[in-house]
Parts: sequence; C-alpha cells; structure tokens
Amino acid sequence: MSKFADIQIDPAIVKRAARGDSRAHEIIYRAFSAPVYSICLRFTRVPAQAEDLVQETFIEIMRSIAKFRGEAALGSWIRRIAVSKALMYLRSAWTARGQSLGDDWHEVTPGDVSSHGVPSRPDDALDLDAALANLPATSRAVVWLHDVEGFTHKEIAVLMGRTESFSKSQLSRAYQRLRPMLSLPEDDVRSESAALRGC
Amino acid sequence: MSKDKKDKEMICGLTADERDLLQQQLSGLPDVMPPRAVWQRIREQAEAEGLINTGVMRRPMTWNGGLGLAAAVALAAILVPVMMNSPEPGGITEPSVSQATNDIPLSALQSLMVESRQLESDLRSLPEEPRVRQAGTVATISEIEDRIAAIDYQLNDPTVAMTDEDKHIFWRERVRLMKLLVGLRYAQAQRAGY
Repeated sequence: MSKFADIQIDPAIVKRAARGDSRAHEIIYRAFSAPVYSICLRFTRVPAQAEDLVQETFIEIMRSIAKFRGEAALGSWIRRIAVSKALMYLRSAWTARGQSLGDDWHEVTPGDVSSHGVPSRPDDALDLDAALANLPATSRAVVWLHDVEGFTHKEIAVLMGRTESFSKSQLSRAYQRLRPMLSLPEDDVRSESAALRGC
Repeated sequence: MSKDKKDKEMICGLTADERDLLQQQLSGLPDVMPPRAVWQRIREQAEAEGLINTGVMRRPMTWNGGLGLAAAVALAAILVPVMMNSPEPGGITEPSVSQATNDIPLSALQSLMVESRQLESDLRSLPEEPRVRQAGTVATISEIEDRIAAIDYQLNDPTVAMTDEDKHIFWRERVRLMKLLVGLRYAQAQRAGY
C-alpha cells in the first residue's frame, strides 16, 4: 500500500501550516518530499521535471492547506495533489506533441530502459524499476496508481479523463510486459492459474 | 470458464500469486529523496507569493552524526536544572513570548525532552549500521533523520522566538520521529544478527 498512508503529521503542525507557518510547512515537506518526488520521478522519468512537479505540488499544498479539513488523511490529500500534478504534466507533454493522453504503446521499444537517478539497491528492485521505466508513460502511471497507490480503475479513469476500460487495458498490457520479471516456480503458476483476480 | 472470469483473465493476465508478488515488489521499491535545493526553491516561491510567513533565510539542514546535537544543546539547557531538582530553573532562558501564550505546562515540555534524550541514548546503544542494508530501510532512516534535523533546526534557530506551545508541538513531533528511528534501527540491528 502507498507509503503516503504511513506518514503521520501532528494535527497541530498542520494547523500551523494553514496559518502560513514556514517551519510547519518545512516539516510537512520533509515528511512527504520523498514519496512525492518518487511518484513524480516514476511518472516522468526525468529528475528535473520531477523536481519541478515537487515544487508545484508543495506550492499547491501551501495554497490549499487552509481548506484541508482533515476528513481524509493528510497523506491521501497530498498524494492526490501530487498525482494530479504529475498527470497534468503527462497530459501537457502529450498535448504539446499533438496527441492525447492515451495509448502510447507504439512508442516503446524493448530495451529502452533508462536509469533515472535511483540509488543503488538489490538487483531485483533495480530490474523491476527498470522494467517499469520501460513501460509507456500512461501504462506506468496506471500500474503505479492501481497497484501501489490503491486507486480503482474508476478513480484512475476520472484522473486521466479516460474510461475504466482504458485503465484496465493499460494495466493488462503493462502486466504482460512485467510478467517475465515475476520469477515464480512454474508449478505454482499452474496451480494458481484458476485463481485469477480481476483488476 | 465463465465469461466474467474469462474477461478478468484477459484484463489482468496474471495469476493471483503473480499479482501479489508484483504488488509486493512495486510497493517495496524505495522512495527517492529530492535534491536539497528543491526546498529552497519552494521556499523562495512561497515567500514571493506570500504563502508563508517570511523570516530569516535558513541555511540548508543536515543530519549530523551527533544525533540532534542542536536539540541536545537546548535539551541540556533545560534538563540540567530539572535534574538538579530546582523548582525555579534559573539557568533556563525564558521564551521571549509572554506567559499569556504559555498554556502548555513546562513539565509536559520537559517530559518530552527527557523522553527524546532517552531515545537518543537508546539509539546510541545500538550497534553501528550494518554494512549490508536494505535499501528501503536506509532510505526511510535517512528520511526520518532529515525530518529530525529539520525540527532540531527550528528548535534552535536563534532568530525565531518560539512559544512554549510551539516548542511542545515540535518536541512532540521529534519524540515521535525518534521512536520511529529507534524502531527501524533496532530492526536493522536484529536483521544483522545483533
């Protein structure tokens, strides 16, 4: 589940931030900057763009935190702002190229893996991160939103301005690409083959 | 196979085990810290737009190896008289804010400081970080250390007068983060065979 949910901030600090207290805002930034940056980096793959999105996200937080009533967790609220900014970036990038935010699978060439400044870590994680980075931007976003952040296809469809079927289709195609990364014993795969879950 | 099940298979294309494994691995990917300069950029924009209360520009914060040295200095200033059982802690520099805002009892603040000091002591009693570490844990520890460093800096910024209520909030957050840090380092030490 999303790391945003694990981060707790004292409500008194949130109240101070709502009054424009820079110290409180810095504490919130220190708490959430890594997950926000990570999500932006995984969506864009470009550190400089991810940094800009982090900046936009936290400026938006500063503008809006006075309206935050605490009905949802602060982490969920911040995550939604970050996701919205990241998707807006993807949408604008596509728009700039005269395309809609849509099916961009034709742009991907196998092996087009780029490192994006992620620190060294075990090979499995590196491989998965590279495989994720190799997906088309839209599919990568759908996988991350659905499987890590826990958004439903309906929510993803709303965020992306597309249909649920589109979200499911992107996820399915991404799974096909990521499946070789999942090195389960063959017998286990067969025995579980009847237990397929819906997306 | 029912049509519905077939539809699900076509959509997902993964078995339950594969799906679980993928979600587990994706969730386990470590977070990445943004460059330190990003906060400075945010702060400058926020000040320019009047989104935050302007103050003295702060230098970049770093977590030092001394585990909250700045906070420890402030802690010592308050704890020494307390430990000497002095009812009137003459050595304490009173907050510049009047008592009217002092609605948090000093003893509550002191207890947080004591708890924080105890947690730092607990942390120091743990062995050094192992050479082989889980990347996710390292990133999380680093992030928590950064957050503690940020709080320490706020608590010890001589240009900012904090009320006792301010201090209480920041010390409470510091204690909470120290507990997280001790827990993580303890788990790390256990994994390393401590």
